[in-house]
Amino acid sequence: MSHSTPKFLTTLALLGAGLALAGVSHADGPPAAAACAGCHGADGNSTVTTFPKLAGQQQVYLLRELKDYKSGKRASEIMAPFMADLSEANLEELATWYAKQKPAPGVKGDPALLKLGKALYMNGNNKTDVPACASCHEDDGSGYKKFARVAGQHVEYTLEQFRLYASGKRSNGARVMQTVAERMTEQETRAVAEYMASMP
Amino acid sequence: MKLKLTLIALTLGAFATLPAAADFQQQPRAAGIETYGYTWNSPDQDMNRALAHKANVREGEAAYKVCKGCHKPDGSGLADAEYPQLAGQHASVIIKQMMDTRAGRRDNPRMYPFAGEWIVSAEEIADIAAYLNQLPIPSSNSKGDGANLALGKRLYTKDCASCHGEHGEGDAKKYYPLVAGQHYSYLKRESRESRDQGRRNASPEMVKVLKPYSDSEIDAVSDYMSRLKLPKK
Repeated sequence: MSHSTPKFLTTLALLGAGLALAGVSHADGPPAAAACAGCHGADGNSTVTTFPKLAGQQQVYLLRELKDYKSGKRASEIMAPFMADLSEANLEELATWYAKQKPAPGVKGDPALLKLGKALYMNGNNKTDVPACASCHEDDGSGYKKFARVAGQHVEYTLEQFRLYASGKRSNGARVMQTVAERMTEQETRAVAEYMASMP
Repeated sequence: MKLKLTLIALTLGAFATLPAAADFQQQPRAAGIETYGYTWNSPDQDMNRALAHKANVREGEAAYKVCKGCHKPDGSGLADAEYPQLAGQHASVIIKQMMDTRAGRRDNPRMYPFAGEWIVSAEEIADIAAYLNQLPIPSSNSKGDGANLALGKRLYTKDCASCHGEHGEGDAKKYYPLVAGQHYSYLKRESRESRDQGRRNASPEMVKVLKPYSDSEIDAVSDYMSRLKLPKK
């Protein structure tokens, strides 16, 4: 999955917007969160669907991801420059603060896809040995420690992560997701992403 | 030298045929029952680490999260998919089978990517095994059609009970699995595979016993085992 030029330009434009907005942040957030607000929203509920919502994310998961961005274990042209100037203490503050923010409610999409998505999320697919998502991410999608919160997440972001996992480009963490993503069809992936996005 | 060449060949082969699949998902292949001089249950570093670990049930419950997406929260597995029932199984048996899968003595491409050390450490496997061991054995497991239970009982009493126990309780010290309450579908598949030497970590004794068995005899004894219940303590 390579960035097409228009998408890359959009990203750049959004980044610019983000930087312009950098001063506008929640008063109670750590100073480092100001730089995140432009893309991830002042309270961690991003409105741009390619940028993940961070509000209510599991602290353990978020901290690991931030550290992996910093070390390069999780590759991202967008995130890497932001990490360069942050200390481990900054990352910890950010993860802790975002974990405490109130997540925005989910968005319900196509009902037919939601039905399939829910079935897969709760039971997996035993024909292709795909485990139930709920066992690690919890029935309500709230996640657990190193397992990410997925409830209410943007469909576009989730789909992109599945693509990165399936192609082996996202290989940080325990690598459970690489195998899961590889075993799922495109339709299954979309259905699960829609279901996760719909969770309150 | 020969090993080195083999490694180079394997590496080249992996690049040539598998550009997408990550190498960690490819199960290694270790010597098994098909190999001359194979010793069943010979010591393994990974296994010794797990066995030496002072297992913690609570830690095991947390680590079991990555397993229960297939093996279910109560450990009951899934008959249709031939995911084994794990609740009440001996910890030693779970540890041995996990380590055999990791090392490539038990071939299982479906399970392998979830069994590696990138998912669970040897210590976590011991914790998970202790957690599963203390779960009650569900009675909702799949059973056969019940048509040949008399034959099943006769075969079990004659050939199986001396190792797996009168009630199917197995033997933790000897790494013999509990078979009572196991899914019929799973028992049947594993017995056939052991007979045909497809289960490469099977004990030679087990294979010797199963060798003369017909498919229908295996079905009968599997049906009988799936219905065994441990006596109330």
